[in-house]
Amino acid sequence: MTTRLDDDGPEFGPDDPLAVILRPSSPDYLSAPPGHYEAIRRRSARRRLLRAAAGAGLLCATAALIALPVRLTAPERPASPTVPMAPPSRTTAPPHPSPSLSPSPYPSGPASKAPTPTAQDTGGATAPTPSSRLPSAAPSAVRPVPSATRPATDRPFGGRR
Amino acid sequence: MKRSREKAASELFAALYPRLAGWCRRLVDDDETAHEIASEAFTRLWARWTSVAEPRGFLYVTAANLVRDHWRKLERERRAMHRVTSEAAVRPHPEQADPSVRLLVQSLPERLRVPLLLHYYADMPIREVSVLTGRKEGTVKADLHAARELLRVHLRRSLDHTP
Repeated sequence: MTTRLDDDGPEFGPDDPLAVILRPSSPDYLSAPPGHYEAIRRRSARRRLLRAAAGAGLLCATAALIALPVRLTAPERPASPTVPMAPPSRTTAPPHPSPSLSPSPYPSGPASKAPTPTAQDTGGATAPTPSSRLPSAAPSAVRPVPSATRPATDRPFGGRR
Repeated sequence: MKRSREKAASELFAALYPRLAGWCRRLVDDDETAHEIASEAFTRLWARWTSVAEPRGFLYVTAANLVRDHWRKLERERRAMHRVTSEAAVRPHPEQADPSVRLLVQSLPERLRVPLLLHYYADMPIREVSVLTGRKEGTVKADLHAARELLRVHLRRSLDHTP
């Protein structure tokens, strides 16, 4: 058995007490006091502004909450290789070559300040590498370098002759 | 644009406010509270004016919720006062406009109350009530039927207890 909905027919009988309650004879009206409309408009404008500000603040806070953990958990960038200021120094060697290590007839000038590790590394037996020849290429045109590399490189060639 | 919106708001206020405030007056104790509730409903409407498609329905549903909140607040106050004083000292105000309506509507569950308020007191057709409450028309009819049956039972009971 289904409930019959009596919305299509009359809802209340002639002596139904509900009709008195639910169907008032005349609707009540309560007119607004003077100035009420303006007050309501002002209040709603204030509230709209407040809602907009709160929304913007909430948006910023959400963005910050999302961005902060991402930033904190991001992998650290690998340290960028720094350009060495000087070639790796030995414990015994001073940072600047002393005149005794690289004897040069010209005490002044840029070529004399540059370290010449080739004289100590290669010794007399090994041939000079191109890298070791590079620093000495420019100044060698003006000065004779009495280093041990030169006779060492020439020795086998000269020996055969 | 702004002027036309202001004009529309003014016309809506003139057309709906007296009826809405009068409807609230039937459900609450005094004119001041009725004005407060109607004003708050209009304030909420205009605070989100752009997103409300059906202003009349929005106003009545908001007012119905505010009336319900007002009743709950009164009930809390009554209970609190009852704890510290005698019941007679805090008996409800004798000048209530329509206590039977209030009592009966208050006794309904919320699911049945809102359609009843909108249909019978805001004079909204069932289709509008259905749109506002988000229920099917058949569901609204069934809710109204159930509400009427409950009201009949309550009314019979209250008449039986009347000396």
